[in-house]
Amino acid sequence: MIAGLVHSIASQPFGPSPSPATVPGANIFTSAFILSIAIWAPVLMAAVIGVMPNPRGRYDTLIKQIAFFTNFLVLFLLFVAYNQFQNFLPSMQYEENRSWLPAIGATYHLGVDGPAILMLMLSALIGIIAVLASLGIRTRVRAYFALLLLTQACVTGAIAAHDLFVLVLFWSAATVPLALLILGWGGPRREAAAWRLVGYWGAGTLALVLAVVGLYVASGGTSFDMDVVLKNPIGPRAEVVVAVALLIAGATRLPLFPLHGWARDVYADAPIGVSVVIAGSASRLGGYLLLRVLVGGEPDGAKLVAPLVAAVAAITVVYGAVAALRSPDVRHAAANLALIPGGVTALGLAALTPLSIAGSVLSLFAGGMASALIVSAFATLSDRAQTRNLAVLSGVAARMPKVAWLTVLAALGLLGVPLMASFTSNEMTFFGAFKTQPVGAFAVAAGLAVAAIAVAVIIQRVLFGPPNPDAPAVSDSSLSESWYLGLLAGALLWVGIVPGGPKIPGTDTPLFDPGLVNQMVANIPEISAPYSGTSATP
Amino acid sequence: MTKYLLLVPETLVVAGAAAMLLLGRFSTSRYRRWRSSLPAVAVAVLLIAAAVELRAGADVNTYFGGALLVDRFGLFVKLAVLLATAAGIAVADWGAEDSLALGLAMPMLAAFGVMVVASSGDFVGVWAGLELAGAAGVVMLALRRPDAGLRLLLLSAAASALMLIGLGYVYASVGTAELGGVHGALLGAAPTLPLALPVLVLLGALIYRAALAPLQVGAAHALMPPSPMSIGLVAGLAAAAAVVAAVKISVAVGPVSAVYSPYIEIVAALAMAGGGAAAMAVRAPRARLAFLAAGQTGWVIAGLGTEFRTGVGAAVFLLGALVVAATAAPAAAGGAGISELAVSGLATLRPARAAALSLAMLSLAGAPPLAGFFGEFTIAAALARSGHLELLAVGLLGSLLSLVAAVGTIRVLYLQNPPEEGRRGLPALPVWTRFSTLGAVALCAVIAGYGLFANPIFSLADQGAEALGLK
Repeated sequence: MIAGLVHSIASQPFGPSPSPATVPGANIFTSAFILSIAIWAPVLMAAVIGVMPNPRGRYDTLIKQIAFFTNFLVLFLLFVAYNQFQNFLPSMQYEENRSWLPAIGATYHLGVDGPAILMLMLSALIGIIAVLASLGIRTRVRAYFALLLLTQACVTGAIAAHDLFVLVLFWSAATVPLALLILGWGGPRREAAAWRLVGYWGAGTLALVLAVVGLYVASGGTSFDMDVVLKNPIGPRAEVVVAVALLIAGATRLPLFPLHGWARDVYADAPIGVSVVIAGSASRLGGYLLLRVLVGGEPDGAKLVAPLVAAVAAITVVYGAVAALRSPDVRHAAANLALIPGGVTALGLAALTPLSIAGSVLSLFAGGMASALIVSAFATLSDRAQTRNLAVLSGVAARMPKVAWLTVLAALGLLGVPLMASFTSNEMTFFGAFKTQPVGAFAVAAGLAVAAIAVAVIIQRVLFGPPNPDAPAVSDSSLSESWYLGLLAGALLWVGIVPGGPKIPGTDTPLFDPGLVNQMVANIPEISAPYSGTSATP
Repeated sequence: MTKYLLLVPETLVVAGAAAMLLLGRFSTSRYRRWRSSLPAVAVAVLLIAAAVELRAGADVNTYFGGALLVDRFGLFVKLAVLLATAAGIAVADWGAEDSLALGLAMPMLAAFGVMVVASSGDFVGVWAGLELAGAAGVVMLALRRPDAGLRLLLLSAAASALMLIGLGYVYASVGTAELGGVHGALLGAAPTLPLALPVLVLLGALIYRAALAPLQVGAAHALMPPSPMSIGLVAGLAAAAAVVAAVKISVAVGPVSAVYSPYIEIVAALAMAGGGAAAMAVRAPRARLAFLAAGQTGWVIAGLGTEFRTGVGAAVFLLGALVVAATAAPAAAGGAGISELAVSGLATLRPARAAALSLAMLSLAGAPPLAGFFGEFTIAAALARSGHLELLAVGLLGSLLSLVAAVGTIRVLYLQNPPEEGRRGLPALPVWTRFSTLGAVALCAVIAGYGLFANPIFSLADQGAEALGLK
């Protein structure tokens, strides 16, 4: 096998760009329902958890185990799917296409391409980490984990959807369980947090529905299938309307300034496991929507709004950094810092070059991990230090070394220092963006510099400053806290150091190979990579 | 023979209602055991009627000189109404009702009224069915609150008077009371003011009746609120009768739609946005349900405004979901539905009821993946196709407000602890019985299944729209 692999690699001609290669090990495992299983298994187990009797919390541990192993099963399935994925195939893979509501042309159409498989891996990994981060939940355990699994299913469904009706369904469905999770298990300002989330995400959903219905009508009103809707020309006026509506929908989720109003309260007051899901995967759906529907589906519309997107991206990064610097609350500071990866993703999408788009795809993964890590690390730190007040928190590193170092890693991951996955994504995005959006790229880079100052100031004060004798007692992280923070940091480091990511021996699918983007942009000459359009034969 | 078989469902429902009235009179201890099984008998009668309807109503024909229409629209509406009534009776807390006999008979009579409207081929049948459904609501409300019953009677009488004026003028204009004849006569007619006025009055009366429930429920009745079943009857069945009548009459006068389209749009917009906003403004689950139902009624009316088959088909589909949720949900909440505090932690004490109430509220709010979402999304697509983008935007806003309201109540049901034992002043929770628990589970299954099997149900609704003569 190794000899065959070496031979196949050696026989590839060297050139300016990678050539499509046969994927050794592909099609070892095939399933017509792999995406449906990934979506509906958590729903099924949520229903099981929801109806199982749990007198006086007797089966709390069992419920947590069910949630963990359900997510583990989904991760395993998607891990296999990822390893079987063929990078250079210019079509969707693992497709499921069944008629659903023929009267309006809605189909149950699922499928993944490069960015989608990467997002699915992110979502599954975040699912497991969220369960680990929620092991401390003691009240209404059954309802909590049922809602968490439902959220997970909604995010997976929105990523795998290849029909706009299905996309809207899963996209909007995620709001209800998340709002209930925050209302039920959130911090002191949970009411404000939950209603802000519902308000902003609801507004985003309205914008998405308008965009989807606009696309549907403009393309003839016969189908919601992306293969049909996104390939029909819809006219310049409709393109502007659709592009702006999609931008609003994406910006409410990612979030981007000025539609970021939910982020501070939600990240600061949601339970840590829920913050991980929102920061890590649910909010990344905003960037994914812009990538898949706007850039991949309506490139002319994307070009029209590109300067606006670049401006918004730049303002978001600068705002996040400045707001973090001025924040008196450590969790609010983390929430503001968590805005930054979204800005980088948006910049890559605004630049519309092959390199910047590839950077954006990786930034969805790396940014999701980095945002989840910074939010959860600061949340754990404030929980363990029994205060969120930056005026009180000081010099805790010596008394909570594990949390301290994981927080440092989180900060490095957010800033995109070398060896972190975010370094690679940021570099790709900037190098790609300086060509077409130089002002935006410069502003985002300047924002990152301010963010570095903010992070340095906060970390210096909180972790390595003089200990505050009046501060409450401090304790280090528990085993489960170390595990979930460690997994997030480990994923960032792994992809930063070994870009190929985890692989089944014999397969050859690097995690962020630019070929992953090919399927989406293969039909857009200006932004497709030079090697697009070719297909590999297994 | 076939035409008599077609009347079996209606006969069963009317006979069942009469039997319930008679059997309910036996209150001695000797018959007590029998009395407690009357709801199950009523549900069985309704389900048998639905099964016969499914069998016999599959044909498409007209009988009795055009007075009885057998088409897919009637089949769909009758099935939905029978199912909704059965679910409402099954899930009801009979301890919170004033009279078992009337509590069983009146919903069945109201269902009969809707069935008459759905299969009627002329104005007289439509009007008669509508009045029957309305009268059943008045009786139910008046049992506990004679003043509320009287108010509903007066409001209904005003609506009826307007409707009769409209019907009379339309009849005078076109020379026939048959719906098909009206449609045919208007095909070449110009939308003149003399024709526009009666049509507006007629549709206005119907819409007024459809939205009466919030007027009854929204007002605070803290001291002696109406019984849960009466609210379900008014908000679900009586409103459904008015909406079904509106569907039939709007299609009949469709050729002069130019005279009422803007009016329909305004009414739909007001109902969608107003229903959502009002649902947010109140806290009592029962009042919220009524306003959510009013908001979804706005979506149904908006679907009618599209004037083409997909839109009206979606409106019919959504009407089915609306009538099931609006009829059964107040019964699921029981007497405790008048106060948010009273239903706190209901999920802990009555999990099946809490699940049924939550699903019904989410469906009324249009949350995915329930029936309300499918219906509202399809109407949204139809609105966009017909160029009603402003109506679409208002509707989406209304849905967002409705969703916020629904989440607020679900939070109370699931995430708050039950009030302390012995806390005075709160209405009692519904009594736990095996039958009502099964009813709540069945209601959950119906609401979830309506979304899950949206394709065949939507297909039937679409055929219903086709049967109305829409292309």
